[in-house]
Amino acid sequence: MTDESSNASGERRRPAGSVRHPAEHSAANEPPPSGQTLAAAQVTGQGLSRRDWLKGGARGVGLLGFGAAAGFLGTRESKAATRWQIDPNQCIQCGRCATACVLEVSAVKCVHSFSMCGYCKLCTGYFEPEPINLDEGAENQLCPTGALQRKFIEDPYYEYSINKDLCVGCGKCVKGCNMFGNGSLYLQVSHDRCVNCNICAIARECPAQAFRQVPVTKPYLLRGKGAAGK
Amino acid sequence: MSDDGSNGQLTGGRKEETTGMSSLLKGEEEATGTDSLLKRRALLRAAAWGGGVVGLGGLSGLGLSRFTRRTPQAAAAKPPLGADFTYDVSRFQTSDPALLRYEETARFASGLERARAIAVAADGTIFVGGAGGLRKFSPTGEGLLNIPLEQAVVSVALRPSGEILVGQPGKITVLDANGAGVAVWSGLPAGLLPTAMAVAGDKVYVADAGNRVVQVLDATGKPVGVIGARDPARNLKGFVVPSPYFCVRMAPDGLLRVTNPGEHQIEAFTLEGDLELAWGRGSFAVEGFCGCCNPVSFDMFPDGSFVTCEKGLPRVKLYNSTGEFTGLVAGPEAFPEYLQAANAGTPDSLGSGIYAAIDPQGRILILDSVGGSIRIMQRKPQAHD
Repeated sequence: MTDESSNASGERRRPAGSVRHPAEHSAANEPPPSGQTLAAAQVTGQGLSRRDWLKGGARGVGLLGFGAAAGFLGTRESKAATRWQIDPNQCIQCGRCATACVLEVSAVKCVHSFSMCGYCKLCTGYFEPEPINLDEGAENQLCPTGALQRKFIEDPYYEYSINKDLCVGCGKCVKGCNMFGNGSLYLQVSHDRCVNCNICAIARECPAQAFRQVPVTKPYLLRGKGAAGK
Repeated sequence: MSDDGSNGQLTGGRKEETTGMSSLLKGEEEATGTDSLLKRRALLRAAAWGGGVVGLGGLSGLGLSRFTRRTPQAAAAKPPLGADFTYDVSRFQTSDPALLRYEETARFASGLERARAIAVAADGTIFVGGAGGLRKFSPTGEGLLNIPLEQAVVSVALRPSGEILVGQPGKITVLDANGAGVAVWSGLPAGLLPTAMAVAGDKVYVADAGNRVVQVLDATGKPVGVIGARDPARNLKGFVVPSPYFCVRMAPDGLLRVTNPGEHQIEAFTLEGDLELAWGRGSFAVEGFCGCCNPVSFDMFPDGSFVTCEKGLPRVKLYNSTGEFTGLVAGPEAFPEYLQAANAGTPDSLGSGIYAAIDPQGRILILDSVGGSIRIMQRKPQAHD
């Protein structure tokens, strides 16, 4: 016995699960159902075998997984490619860097461009506007945490450096330096502390829009000799 | 016949057979066409399904990524900073009106970006230099000449012959009275930044902020000496010039006056380079020179008294010939654009300053590089030092 049988009119009947070849429709002057294609026929269940179903399912799951992985890694990749940083030419030293960061002590720190510094005896970033004496007494220092430190080089020059562990990123010394000096003190996000939030809390509050994302390959916006093009 | 008929039948049969074959071929062609169409449709539909599934996967991946990102949750937890963390010099940004000895009688725009050079000729014409070049104005502020120059002008001085000396980084350009080029002195010491120049006899004294000395040039621009270099044997500690503000003038007493901004002083030198005297002290109070490095510029009256200019707190002040404070020409409140830039902490005020020149009528001309204007200040009739 063949796997095809004939009906009373002589037409052959197909076994369940088999699919008619489209050419057979034509040969038998029997157009395929409106809009129905071979693939459609396959998925309507008229002729879907378990193996086909499993094959299709596995393919679908694979594609879904591929898409998910691409979506996840794609966004991860773009995030990892940038870091938050402060443009020192936009910064207005409003003090929000010290309070808005998600870290307990802000990741924003004062940095110093030695190539721009005048090594002044009377540094307006270091001293109160009217210091009692030009010495290291706490009452003369501008920085409320004592993070800016002073070292004698030769008369009348002094070198100033920042103790990052003490700096809270308030920008008080930066303001003093910008207003009267060369602007060699400025604020930067310290990447050894920053957790690189997707939306930086300080950037969200920065009134000067000084925060921007920079390439991870160039994560600092420096002044002086380290600056771009210098 | 039969043969013929057979033949005929045969022929006819062959014809039918041929016809049948052609119709079969035609049918196969049609079938092949339909098959291709259906395959294409199937392919498109499968691709659409695949794309949809991948897109759905992508969206779920994106959502997962967002879910696992760090978000700023502790942002509002910290209290605002107290006064100890705020830089406040507002108490120095206003001045006592009783100290004002001059009043503004006119003002005109310099038309130059970052203008920082001003000089007045014997006939009262005013020369102003900046980023765009050099401009000449009448004593009342009408524009007379515009000399575009590629390099920024940082100083200007006038020779008795009418020639104009234009200081630019690394060189000095000599122009005739109409602005035509005469010479360029380029064989000057490396790193030259001629922030001010004074002409005396056949010599030109150049305040070189780049090298922190006064360069002495002959009439052709050849360097013939240096004044103020560190020399302990002559009791010279050297000029402290932390920023590009360094000024020199020839005083009526025949001594050079040079600023030592890092020491907050004006020093007097003989033309041989000996230090004769110095005056000035650092203070935010009105009698002193504020900040790290002031005064940025000055000019002298025929009686040997001074008009000085400061940056940071933009102040134009008067001192007598021995360095005693005698009054204000303009206080910080007279320079709102400058103060705004300084208070904002933006670098607009960096590299900017206030400069002054005294004209033959005794008026003080103030060049405000941030506001971009020249103010004509006249002494108040009732003013007493």
